[in-house]
Amino acid sequence: MQNMTNDNIMLKMQNIHKSFGSLEVLKGIDLSVAKGDVLAIIGPSGSGKSTMLRCINRLEEIDSGSIEIKGRMLVRETADGEAEYVDEAESRDVLSCTGMVFQQFNLFPHMTVLQNLLEAPVQVKKRSAAEVRPEAEELLRKVGLFDKRDCYPGRLSGGQQQRVAIARALAMNPDIMLFDEPTSALDPELTGEVLKTMRELAAEHMTMVVVTHEMAFAREAASHVMFMADGVIVEQGSPGEFFASPKQERTIAFLQNML
Amino acid sequence: MDNLLHTIMLMLEGTQITLEIFCITLVLSLPIGLLAALGRISDVKPLSLLMEFYVWVMRGTPLMLQLLFVYFALPMVGIMLSDLAAALLAFTLNYAAYFAEIFRAGIQSIGRGQYEAAKTLGMTYPQTMRRIIIPQMLRHVLPPISNETINLVKDTSLIYILAMNDLLRVARTIVQREFDMTPFVVAGVFYLIMTFVLTWAFKRLEAHYAKYDQ
Ligand SMILES: Nc1ncnc2c1ncn2[C@@H]1O[C@H](COP(=O)(O)OP(=O)(O)O)[C@@H](O)[C@H]1O
Ligand SMILES: [Mg+2]
Repeated sequence: MQNMTNDNIMLKMQNIHKSFGSLEVLKGIDLSVAKGDVLAIIGPSGSGKSTMLRCINRLEEIDSGSIEIKGRMLVRETADGEAEYVDEAESRDVLSCTGMVFQQFNLFPHMTVLQNLLEAPVQVKKRSAAEVRPEAEELLRKVGLFDKRDCYPGRLSGGQQQRVAIARALAMNPDIMLFDEPTSALDPELTGEVLKTMRELAAEHMTMVVVTHEMAFAREAASHVMFMADGVIVEQGSPGEFFASPKQERTIAFLQNML
Repeated sequence: MDNLLHTIMLMLEGTQITLEIFCITLVLSLPIGLLAALGRISDVKPLSLLMEFYVWVMRGTPLMLQLLFVYFALPMVGIMLSDLAAALLAFTLNYAAYFAEIFRAGIQSIGRGQYEAAKTLGMTYPQTMRRIIIPQMLRHVLPPISNETINLVKDTSLIYILAMNDLLRVARTIVQREFDMTPFVVAGVFYLIMTFVLTWAFKRLEAHYAKYDQ
C-alpha cells in the first residue's frame, strides 16, 4: 500500500466514524487500496469489519470522514466534521465500479442462474439480453457452472450459489470487488471451490477487499492483510510479515486462536 | 324436469351479474391494492398515513355498510352512478384494502439481502421493486389472495340489497314465487362450482411458482 501514485488508488477512506445509536462501531478508519490490491481484513466478530465494507458502497452511511472511489468523491467531510454525500445520481455512478458478494449469497430466487447474471446489465446498463448473454455464459464457464445456467438458485449447493453470486457481480464489469465473509455460510467441504474462484480473480489482478476468516486465503492470495478490533485498525502489512511477525499483542492473541 | 331446466336457465342469467361483479372487482382491486401497499410502505409519510387510514376504514366497517353508503349517500351529493357502477366502486375499494394489507405483509417478508444485492448491482428502488421484490412477493401471497378471492365470490351476494338480479336474488325470487327450495340448492351448487374452479386455478398457479423452490 506504499508508494501509490494518485491515479492507481482505487479506494481511499479517511477518518471514518460510524455509530449505530450510541454504539460507535468505526472509530476513525483510514484505508487505501491500489489497483490490483487484494486486501484481506480479519478480526474478531463484532469488530466492525462488515460495517466498514458496507460503508464503501453506501449500504451503510458514515457519520464523518470521506470516501473516494477511483478518484471520485462519494462522501466528503464538511468543515464542521459532518459527512456529506454526493447526490443520488452521482453516488450511483461512482459506485457503479464496485461489486459485492455477501455471506448469504442473496441470489434472486425467482430467476435462473443465467437470468441472475443478465438482470443488472440489462436493467441498469440497458444492454440487450442477446448482447450480454455470451459474456454471462463465459463468466459461468469461468466459475464452472455453465451447465447450471438454467437452474434456479434453490437447486444449487451453497458453494455453487456463491460462485453464481460472484459471476453475477462480475457481469457488471466492476473494478473493485467487495467480499463479506463469502465462505462463512458454507459447509467446510464447499469453501474450497469458492476460494478457488476468488484466487483466480486475484490472479487476474482484480482489486479486492475481502473480509474473511480463511487465514490460508489471507496468507496466500492477499497482497495486504489488515487486522481490525473494536472499530480500529490494529495492525496491517504484507501477508509475509503480518503472519510471520505480528507486532501488536491483540493481533498475536487473535492469530494464536485462529491457527 | 322442464321446470328445473327453466330454473337453471334463469339462474345462469343471475350468475352472469355475479361473475361480472367478481371479475371486474378482481381486475381493478388487485393493482389498486398493490399501489396502496407501495404507498403504505413508502417513505413519504403523508402518503403512508393516508393509505393506513384507508385500509383501516375499509377493513374496520362492514362491506354491507360501504355498499349502502355508495348507493344512497353519493346521489345525495350529486354523484349519480348506475347500480352496477356503485356496486363495483364499493367492492373494489373494499377488496383493494384487503389486498393492500396482504401485499404489504408479503413485501415486508422479503429479506433485506434482496434489496442490498439489487442495490449493489446498481438497480434503483423502482427497478428493485418491479423486478426483484414484487415477483417474489406475489408468489408468497398466493394462498391469502386465493382466500380473499373466494370470499369475493361469496360477498358478491351482498348486491342482493341493491336490487340487482344476481344469482342469489334470482334464486330467492323463484323460491318466493313457487314455494320450492330447489333454487337455493342450485344457487349453492353454482357458488360451489365457482369457488372450486378458483381453488383449482390457484393450486395450478402455486404449483407453477413452486418450481424455483428447494
Ligand atoms: N444495522 C445495525 N444496527 C445496529 N447495530 C449494528 C448494525 N450492524 C452492525 N451492528 C453492530 O455493530 C457492531 C459491528 O458489527 P459488524 O460490522 O457486523 O462486525 P463484524 O463484521 O466485524 O463481525 C456489532 O456490535 C453489531 O452488533
Ligand atoms: Mg461481519
